Amino acid sequence: MAKSAKKAALYIILIAVALAFLFPVFIVLMNSFKNKLYISAEPFTFPDSESFAGLENYTVGLEKTGFFSAFGWSLFITLASVLVIVLFSAMTAWYITRVKSKITSAMYYAFVFSMIVPFQMVMFSMSKLANILRLDNPLGIVVIYLGFGAGLSVFMFCGFIKSIPLEIEEAAMIDGCGSIRTFFLVVLPILKPTAITVAILNTMWIWNDYLLPYLVIGSDYKTIPIAIQYLKGGYGSVDMGAMMAMLVLAIIPIIVFYLSSQKYIIKGVVAGAVKG
Amino acid sequence: MASVTLKNIYKIYEDGFTAVNDLSLDIGDKEFIVLVGPSGCGKSTTLRMIAGLEEISKGELYIGDRKVNSVAPKDRNIAMVFQSYALYPNKTVYKNMSFGLELHKVPKDEIRRRVTEAAKVLDIEHLLERRPKALSGGQRQRVALGRAMVRNPDVFLLDEPLSNLDAKLRTAMRTEITRLHQKLGTTFIYVTHDQTEAMTMGDRIVVMKDGVVQQVDTPQNLYNRPVNTFVAGFIGSPQMNFIDGCIIEENEAVTLLVGGDHIPFAGSPESVAPYIGKKVTVGIRPEDIDDSEYFISQHSRSVLSGTVEVKELMGSEVFLYINCLGNKITARVGPETQAKADAEIKFAVDESKIHLFDKESGIRIM
Repeated sequence: MAKSAKKAALYIILIAVALAFLFPVFIVLMNSFKNKLYISAEPFTFPDSESFAGLENYTVGLEKTGFFSAFGWSLFITLASVLVIVLFSAMTAWYITRVKSKITSAMYYAFVFSMIVPFQMVMFSMSKLANILRLDNPLGIVVIYLGFGAGLSVFMFCGFIKSIPLEIEEAAMIDGCGSIRTFFLVVLPILKPTAITVAILNTMWIWNDYLLPYLVIGSDYKTIPIAIQYLKGGYGSVDMGAMMAMLVLAIIPIIVFYLSSQKYIIKGVVAGAVKG
Repeated sequence: MASVTLKNIYKIYEDGFTAVNDLSLDIGDKEFIVLVGPSGCGKSTTLRMIAGLEEISKGELYIGDRKVNSVAPKDRNIAMVFQSYALYPNKTVYKNMSFGLELHKVPKDEIRRRVTEAAKVLDIEHLLERRPKALSGGQRQRVALGRAMVRNPDVFLLDEPLSNLDAKLRTAMRTEITRLHQKLGTTFIYVTHDQTEAMTMGDRIVVMKDGVVQQVDTPQNLYNRPVNTFVAGFIGSPQMNFIDGCIIEENEAVTLLVGGDHIPFAGSPESVAPYIGKKVTVGIRPEDIDDSEYFISQHSRSVLSGTVEVKELMGSEVFLYINCLGNKITARVGPETQAKADAEIKFAVDESKIHLFDKESGIRIM
């Protein structure tokens, strides 16, 4: 009896927390179908015959923001960054884990340390440096994302690689692999669960990131978060309807991506954490 | 198929630790040689140096006539079976076996033929599409053997391949590996810490301790004529009894004084002449001690007495742990023994089977 009551209480708390998290998303979705004049006045009421705007907010938003171009840049920057982060972090972690020396151990701690440095602490010097090094373009920002994303990714890969028996790599060497083939044909396929987790975490971060692209590439190559921000007009005027609609469009891809791959996240995180 | 020659091989790590010390060994073509010794004796390091997975600090290694010190593992034409099998977890059994051949650009038809043939020999044909995690320990072991087989290597290296299997399966696989060696006719180098595996499988056995080879010999010679107390104690289960004794000469006859009892000396007196009057270590195998009336009557001049501390019934035999004037002696006797725990017992030793070792160096005297 006490046990089932406890369970019920737990469910109630969890449902309440879930609702609290989903509520803002729901408000955005609901308001995206309302006329912009009603959004600020009645943000929590359902659209009625008077306030319902149909898909007008979406069409206006798409037009004003240049959404498709922003979507393209977001997609390119996210995919390219995630690809290089996964590839180079996995290689680095493999090297750090397998080659034991003072240098590799120092490298490992440098990567771990980089995780605790807040972005805000380095953002100005970093954007200046990006400018000097001509990294203020979509290709350059990929390099910067690699730098910021490598810490956590290398840390996660290291945890998993430690659990892979070295004998598997030795077997590959005897079978005829050199270092490169051992990595690509044997190690990387084994790292798949962690690679997927790293890819998902970085995708969500980079896709949603506002500050870094804003500081580095600004308005030249707008990503979705920046494009949406430009809906703010002069003197504080904001087209709330278009903004809500664009926010919905911005989060749909990442929600679909997350839902389709969430089982790998748990698998990958646990694999690195408890094995070995 | 090839011979393997190790000439004055050393493995010295950066911290100065010498894992293998001046190892020289000639392994003949098609020979099944077993490296055996306790943990940390350098047997696995030796095998890994032959495989090319460890660098050789000093010395020369030949496979056939080719010096391979600086040849990469993949170019040595060897195959290795690891203790943990080291199967590729993300590949199917077929892919595990064919991977090496694909890397060597063997034609697909040939790969299929070799894998199927090896799978048939090892009885794993029905497992070819499975992944390693869906296999039992014994099946994984067979796949690891199969992966090595398909390569048609010059030398098979096996690093404690049976140690992760249960006792019953280990016995079965032991026979299977021996049969495989006979069928393939390839040089096998097998590392184990299990002396039973060494004794039953090897044409010759290399006993190692602290990186140094103690003795290289056939199983029978190793058992009957161990060169020192380490080999004598390591080979044989239960292990050989070691008792402090003294060689004395009385009335022109040489005898052994063990505790307070005299045991006649069966060998030639000349062979122990330098040791007369000196303390020695007397080695007696448990099966050369018996308490049966017949045995005692046959060896009436070598009768000792002691207290049975523990009696272990093994089914077909009984182990008696006897305290003989402070010396702990293990006897392997027949199940009909009347000995009881905590009771006095008379027993005899077969004086012709006694081993004598130098007390200081442990080296065999006779």
